[in-house]
Parts: sequence; structure tokens; C-alpha cells
Amino acid sequence: MPVREPVSKVHVEPPVPHKPTGCGTFVRALTNTGIGAAAFLITCVGLRVVLPFPEIDGGVSQKFRFFAAHKDEFDTLFIGSSRVYFQISPAIFDRVTRESGMPTHSFNFGIGGMYLPETAYLLEQILNLKPRNLKWVFIEYDEMQTKWSPENQTSRRALYWADWKRVSLLLRKLTDAGTDPLWLPSPAKLRDIVLREKDEKNTRSLLTFYAGQFEKNYANFARAADVLEYFLSRDTKKRRASYLGAASDGYVIRPGRMSPSQVAVYERALAAAMAQPGTRPLSPYAVEAYRQCATEVRSIGAIPIFLITPNTTQINVATENTGLPGVVMAFNNPRAYPSLYRISAHRDGHHLTKSGAEEFTRIVAANFVELARAGGVK
Amino acid sequence: MSFVEFRFLWFFLLVFIVYWAMRNNTARKVWLLLCSYAFYAAWNWKFTFLLLGSTTVDYVVGQMLGRTESPAWRRFWIVTSVCVNLGVLGFFKYFNFFVSSASQFLAWFGLPASTNTLNIILPVGISFYTFHSMSYTIDVYRRKQPPISNFVDLTLFVSFFPPLVAGPIVRAVYFLPQLVSSRKFFNVDVRGAVMLFLSGFIKKACIADGVAPTVDRYFAHPANFTSMSAWTAVPFYAIQVYCDFSGYTDMAIAAARLLGYQLPNNFRFPYFAQNVSDFWRRWHISLSSWLRDYLYIPLGGNRGSRGFAYRNVMITMLLGGLWHGAAWTFVIFGALHGTALIIHREWIRLTEGLKWAARIMRWFAWPITIYAICFALIVFRAQDLSGAGTTLKQFALFCGGGDEHFHRWFLLVIVALALIHWLNFRRWFPESWRRWPAPVFAAAYGCTFAVVLLFVPPHYTPFIYFQF
Repeated sequence: MPVREPVSKVHVEPPVPHKPTGCGTFVRALTNTGIGAAAFLITCVGLRVVLPFPEIDGGVSQKFRFFAAHKDEFDTLFIGSSRVYFQISPAIFDRVTRESGMPTHSFNFGIGGMYLPETAYLLEQILNLKPRNLKWVFIEYDEMQTKWSPENQTSRRALYWADWKRVSLLLRKLTDAGTDPLWLPSPAKLRDIVLREKDEKNTRSLLTFYAGQFEKNYANFARAADVLEYFLSRDTKKRRASYLGAASDGYVIRPGRMSPSQVAVYERALAAAMAQPGTRPLSPYAVEAYRQCATEVRSIGAIPIFLITPNTTQINVATENTGLPGVVMAFNNPRAYPSLYRISAHRDGHHLTKSGAEEFTRIVAANFVELARAGGVK
Repeated sequence: MSFVEFRFLWFFLLVFIVYWAMRNNTARKVWLLLCSYAFYAAWNWKFTFLLLGSTTVDYVVGQMLGRTESPAWRRFWIVTSVCVNLGVLGFFKYFNFFVSSASQFLAWFGLPASTNTLNIILPVGISFYTFHSMSYTIDVYRRKQPPISNFVDLTLFVSFFPPLVAGPIVRAVYFLPQLVSSRKFFNVDVRGAVMLFLSGFIKKACIADGVAPTVDRYFAHPANFTSMSAWTAVPFYAIQVYCDFSGYTDMAIAAARLLGYQLPNNFRFPYFAQNVSDFWRRWHISLSSWLRDYLYIPLGGNRGSRGFAYRNVMITMLLGGLWHGAAWTFVIFGALHGTALIIHREWIRLTEGLKWAARIMRWFAWPITIYAICFALIVFRAQDLSGAGTTLKQFALFCGGGDEHFHRWFLLVIVALALIHWLNFRRWFPESWRRWPAPVFAAAYGCTFAVVLLFVPPHYTPFIYFQF
């Protein structure tokens, strides 16, 4: 269809005549920039307050929405990575505690690939819901992750937790700045980062990445999709069930067993880990994050319990003198828990099979009851 | 560093404040020069030496052209400049393409040749700054531009950060005179510039990056999709490439304007063109006019026979296609546009004075043009020739492909975006914001920007034209 072509105003609009007043114009421009920046920040904060919980892949949103709707039904919560998600069965845990005369109603908030600091952020959001009956919070105990795979760096999963509390700990860890209130990065580390030396080849880009994530998170990047999701609610029952499990308790059975080559790899890794002398403590940044988690859990009247799952990478993690305000239930000793390390119990080096998970849950529950009765959980 | 990243905002704020706080024009230019090199170094600092080297050669050539009147020497110096610039461009951009193409060509004749391609990194913006730089020496050679003695001015012209990596292609005669006198802040149309930046940001970050995943999904495996999906993905790509490139241009022009400099316009609603010639007067105007003035006209332009003129059109479009990237798909893209331009000229010649033809084209000119543009864009976007063939079959013949398809409401998105674009074309959007008190405008702008960010995807897609 023929159209007459007008001239675009945006592109060729002549400048509006201004009064040439020199320096004053520039100062006024700076003042107006300040007003614009303030309006921007206020709008961002305002939007952040009214926007619903973000739509995050991997079951985060589904589990969060479910827990929010049933928050007062649960008194025990498990939170952590896939090593919690696929390895703690709330049904079995509750059965064991009930049979032991200390009944619980638990929910599994494990999410695949969720480590510190994401765990800490999500726990804070859960606790902000003020679940009235929550008594026990099991938090997976593991090192703070600073690396994200490039394909995941662009996902919303890598963004939604990036508040100042979490990002500042990551930046401190990356710059080796310690956890003191006075933030002083190590000069040697800074030099290595600037010159991209030794192990610091990617640290500069990680620092930029996390600073960018923090800005994007507070500027509510991509949150329009959440509003759409909130009103359209396209979440299907099938999709919800795939994350919440058949019993809607957050536990999903992951089938599979190791192939002969995986068995060989697993056996080598297990032998190497057991042969290593001594123990390695978690970084002070991870400990600080767990300390914050413990404080928040206690603030709603619940008790934090830190949980080390049976896998080859955590065998040497120190469990004594952790400096944490909470008990650590450690299952990272193959000599103490040989059944949890047998080949038939493992799906791979990190995860247990269905039967291994059920056995692990029973042991956790039994130890928990024993510990609670002995007054060890405070 | 990209215009849609937060770090650019902090970078630009620093540049802006320090620039306008300075009084001396030379100090301002040196500051802008340092910032431009820092901007380029943020991508890869090693290639700043290439940028500096290219500028130095053209500075020396400019000086030598100014010192000699001998036609032979003048020719020698301009050939030196063109060879160095195109040599650098050819090595970094086309070396591997020519080597592998030559090897395939020999293989067809049963002469297998071992290919030794190099692991060459393509310097960002090399096609743009090479053309900036070459326009200077060619204009000095043609005596349209006096040789410049101030090295800082020439270096700043070549490396000025807003148009450095993806245009618009700025000519020396347009930009260098702006560096002579000190820019005055009260002459800067701040509102117009920041609104233009916002419009460019929305185009790139919200629209182009928003449709990019759909386009990528389709063009990764076009054979898996239905032909109706091609009719969604191809218009989506047309939207993406326009919003991506014109979004960058808008932001570049706005950033330059805020520093007191004018850059040439690069787009004039190209998708409302009534024919392919008209399209090239509206799309990437700085490149098409550069090719016209520095290639097509020196080749002979319209002078001579029709066949000679068409040969010139075809050479210009083939090289214009190749300018976009070292792949046969880009050469074919240029060839398709060259063919379309020739067909259009023939149509004009054959139907001159025929009223029925004018009446028909009154209704069909635009649909035919937009279809031809989309058709050529398929080849432009396709990952290889076989992928292009599959999509062309789906788009032109409604056949081939699998059973994957996009949701129907994607077509609504196309209609909605086209409607908004048309309303803008018809100037339906009021500009009452120009009359608002400055603090009200600033506050409204801040709020609007915060709302716009809600629609920006979390992933950052690099500007399409960065690779060129």
C-alpha cells in the first residue's frame, strides 16, 4: 500500500534553542541528571517491592510457590543442591521420626545445581514467609561457588539471588578481602587479577559478571515475564509435579546406576579422597554465609542443622571447629558409613541411587532423633 | 563494552562529566581520544595498536599528499593508503575465507590443495574504522579535504568511540571540521539526545534481544520447522537486524550528540521503502553512500552503456555484500540486491510513461519490496548455503521442513511491532516532552528507563554488526 513519507522527528529534529549561560547550564544538567537517577532508583525499588517472586527454572519457583501456600504445614525443611533434592525423602524421614516418637512433617527444598550463595538467598526468602511451625532447618554444607558455566551465566537463575549480601561475599572471596567489616582486598591477589596471572585468568571477568548481575538484579531486568506469569499462571500440574514429586514433598526419585566405566572412575576418586591426609575447612566466606543463614533461622525460632552428604568430593571437609552456630551432621566419612559409599548405592560420584537415597534418609532421621534426644541440637 | 551494558553507563558518565568540565578544546579532544582507546581496549587492548597503526599510515599519507603536486606521487600515496587499509582488512577478515574458498575451488578441478588457515581474531569494528580512515586519504587525494596536521584530530576522528565499532561510517569531511572549534554545552540538545538513546536502547535491548532466541532457534535447524514457522522467523529476523543495528546507531548518535558532535543518520524507515533503490537510500545510509562515492562512481557509475552501469551496480553490491562478512552467503546477499536493483532499473525503463504500470506499482511496490528484502535477509542470516536453501524453499514455496512450529501469538508480536513502527513513521507519537520543565522530564525519564528494564532479557546478545 502506498504511504506518504513524513520526516522522522526523532532523528532530524533541530536542537531547541537554549540560552547560552555557560557553566550554569552544565550545573543544571548535572542536577537534572541527579533527579533522573533518583527517580530511576526509586522506581526500581518500588517495582522490586510489588513484583512477585521471579519465575526461575529448575523448580525454584514451583517449590517456592508451593511452600508459600503450605508454609505452616511443615516443621522441618531440607535445603541444598541435587544432593538434597534427590537424596532426602521427606516421607521416609517423617516415618522414621514418627516411629521414634518424635514426629515431623518435612519438605525437601533441594534444587539441582543450587549452592551458596543461591542457597542462602533462597533460605532468606523462605524465612521471610514466616512459617510459624518451622522447627528444624537442614542446610547442605558445602563450599561457596564462584564459577558459573558460560551457558548458565545468561540465565535468570544466575540473576535472581544477586543481592548485595550475596554479591559482596562473592566479591570478597574473589579478591581475598576477608570477612571483616573493613573491606581490604589482598594486594597480591589484586595484582594477580589485574595481570591475569596464575589461577586468576578469569577472575576479572567474574568480578565484572557479578557486579553486572547485582546491577541487573536491582534494576529488575526481565521481570516483566514474572508479571505475565503471575496473571496467566501457565504453570501446569504436570510441570509442578515434575519438581515437587509424587507426594508433593519436594522429593523426586532420580533413576539410574553407574556404568562400568563410571564405577572405575568412582572407585579411583573414592580411594584418592580417602588416602588424602588431614581435613580442609570451608573458606571463611562460606562460613560467614552459613553464619548469616543460622542467625536468620534462629530469628524465627527454628534451629539450623548443617548437613554434609555422602559424596567423594566432600570426604575431607572439616567438621570440627567450624565456627558455626549450629550442629553439623556429617556423612562424609566412608569408614563410619560404608553402606552409603558402596557402588550399588551410587548413581555417580555425587549422587545416590533410589535405594541409596532411602537408606541415607533413614540414617539422617535416626541420627537426628538420637541427637535431638541427647540435647545435641540447640 | 556495549552501549546496553551498565558499565557503559558508568563509563559514559565519567567521559561526559570530565569532558564538559574541561575548558580547553585540545584537552577535551585528548580526553576523548584516551577514552576512545580505553573503550576499544576494553574488548582487546592488543588491537589498539592496529587502530593506531592504521591511523598513523593515513596521517603520513595525508601529509605526503599535501606536500606534493605531482600526479604520479599523489597516485603512489593514495594507492599505498588503500593497499595498507584494505590489506589489513583483508588479512584479518578475509584471509581464511579466501584460502578455504581457493582450496575448494581447486578441489572441484581435482587438484586437492592443503589449506593452512590461521587462527585469526577479527578485530571489532575493523570494517568501520578502516572506511573512516580511508575516506580521509581519498578526500585529501581528491582535494575535498585539506591534509590535517594535528595528529590528535585525525586519531580522534578514526577512533571516536560512539561510531567506532558499528558505525555509522563517518567521513572526514563531515567530522573533522567539528573538531576545529570548541563545542558549547548550551548548543547540545540534551533532551533529544537522551530520548534518542532511550529509543535505541528499547530497539536493541527489548526488541532485538527479545526476538533473538526465536530467530536463533529457527536458523540453527530450519529443516525441523514448518514453512509457517519460516514466515514467523524471517520477519522476526528482519525486525531483529533492523532494531539491533538502528538501535546501535541511535545510541551512537545520541552519545556523540551529548558530547557536542553530530554523526550522520544511518536509517530512514527502510522497511517502508517502495523499491530496492529506495531501500538502499534508507538502510545503512552511511555505507551505501560510501560505496556510491568511493566505489560505484569511480568505477564509472551510470556513465556509459546500460550494461556497463549494471556491471558497476553488480560489482558494488557484491563488494558491499562481502564487506558484511567473509562468507559466500554475504556475497550472494550482495548479488541478490544487485540483481534486484538491476531489475528495478529495467522495470522503470520499460514502463516509463505507462500509467497502468504506475497504478499497479502504487499497490504492489511495497509488498514486493519487503518480500525481496526478507528473501535476501534469509541468505544473510543463514548459517550456510544448505540452511539458506531450506529456508528459501519454505519461505518462497511453502514446502519442506519438519513439524516444529512457533506459537501463533508470535505473529501478533510481528503485527504489533509493525504497527508501532508505522505509527512512528506517520509521526503519531507526540513530542510534548520537549515542553516539560527540565526536572519533570528528568524524573519521567528515570522512571521510564526503570520500567523499560523490566522488558530487557537477562542474556546479552552482542550487536549483529559487531562481527562486521
